[in-house]
Amino acid sequence: MDVTLSINGTDHRLDLDPRVTVLDALRHHLGLTGTKKGCDHGQCGACTVLLNGRRVNSCLTLAVMHDGDEITTIESLGSPDALNPLQDAFVRNDGFQCGYCTPGQIMSATAMLQEAEDGWPSYISRSLETDPDLTDEEIAERMSGNLCRCSAYPRIRQAIAEVRDARGMAAE
Amino acid sequence: MTEAYLRPDTLDEALAVLADGETRIAAGCTDLFAATARKILPGRTLDISRIPTLRGILHDDSGLTIGATTTWTDIATAELPPACRGLQLAAREVGGPQIQNRGTIAGNLCNASPAADGVPPLLTLDAQVVLRTKDGERSLPLDQFLTGPRRTAREAGEIVVAIRVPAEALEGAGHFLKLGARRHLVISIAMVAVRVSLVEGIVQQAAVAVGACGPVAVRLTQLEKALVGQPLDPHLVTDDLVAQALSPIDDVRADAPYRAHASAELVRRALAQVTA
Repeated sequence: MDVTLSINGTDHRLDLDPRVTVLDALRHHLGLTGTKKGCDHGQCGACTVLLNGRRVNSCLTLAVMHDGDEITTIESLGSPDALNPLQDAFVRNDGFQCGYCTPGQIMSATAMLQEAEDGWPSYISRSLETDPDLTDEEIAERMSGNLCRCSAYPRIRQAIAEVRDARGMAAE
Repeated sequence: MTEAYLRPDTLDEALAVLADGETRIAAGCTDLFAATARKILPGRTLDISRIPTLRGILHDDSGLTIGATTTWTDIATAELPPACRGLQLAAREVGGPQIQNRGTIAGNLCNASPAADGVPPLLTLDAQVVLRTKDGERSLPLDQFLTGPRRTAREAGEIVVAIRVPAEALEGAGHFLKLGARRHLVISIAMVAVRVSLVEGIVQQAAVAVGACGPVAVRLTQLEKALVGQPLDPHLVTDDLVAQALSPIDDVRADAPYRAHASAELVRRALAQVTA
């Protein structure tokens, strides 16, 4: 069926089987292979994209459900010559080994920083009512939807903390 | 109708589609693909995620109404009474953040996993499940809606439109704890929700529910009776009082005696933390 997907600010008209996921539409129909397929059932976070600014697993949602939604992928964040702050921090802090989970980690971190700025609580936030401090522990908790089989977690957290500090977000 | 995918804008249209023949309902889709054994989704899919009247939380004198497609993030970030704190904590532990942004409360109930995070807190809130067909509406207590692992009382042609919590169940404060190999992206070994109301230190209402320790999550009514009328004391929670209400299984995650003991300890901890 016909669907128009708005990806990184550009409309793409596609004729898709309704069972195609957003992930497969990106990779197989649009050639946007920055978004990775890890587990393909919502456990690893490698396929994380932003849907209207919020992070979701693109393997767990059908492309036809998102006619009119704004989808943002890793391809929109920066370029090899001009990395965005999170990409730059991941490179300088060695926030990866094999790099396969990295696009998902960076998309997830992009949304996570926004969630914290919007005052969303995590499970470990002391209060559901007051704005949380984005401590290193909070970063780890909030990044729990993204697995890294190389276990680069300490460096991933370090890279994100650097961007948190550069944005002047409270860490207490 | 032969379309494989339908996305109506109104509930009436959705109910008409459902009355027309076998159809799978899709909302957040976080369990849909995982629960489909075949490589592709067979049959017709009815997407209810764009029906505005099904999403959102209404709090009035009669209680709380949570729309079916309200997401875990919607719940966690809403301003709700302290009695709902257990539900809000559970909302921040479902899957991971990406799952919480899509997964819906009614989807969690209809998927009917024995380890569904939403069920124990909703049991402590005396939740009712509101179901609608094109001809009418009925309401079932949550423990009657859930009839077994992966089984519910929902009939073909029915859509869960909302979860209702009566005003009387919004007294007191709630809490939620779960135990798994790690906190996120795993299926739980045991989970506990409590809700307690106190007057001058004496327990007036006590609601305790345990999940992942039987075919469906259950309220621990014997234990609740032992708590009411006493000062709140977690030591009143004996392993026996908890274990007698449960029927845990042995599996790769934990054996049955461990689950029973862990549940009792989680209940004690939840009661110790609920008024903190």
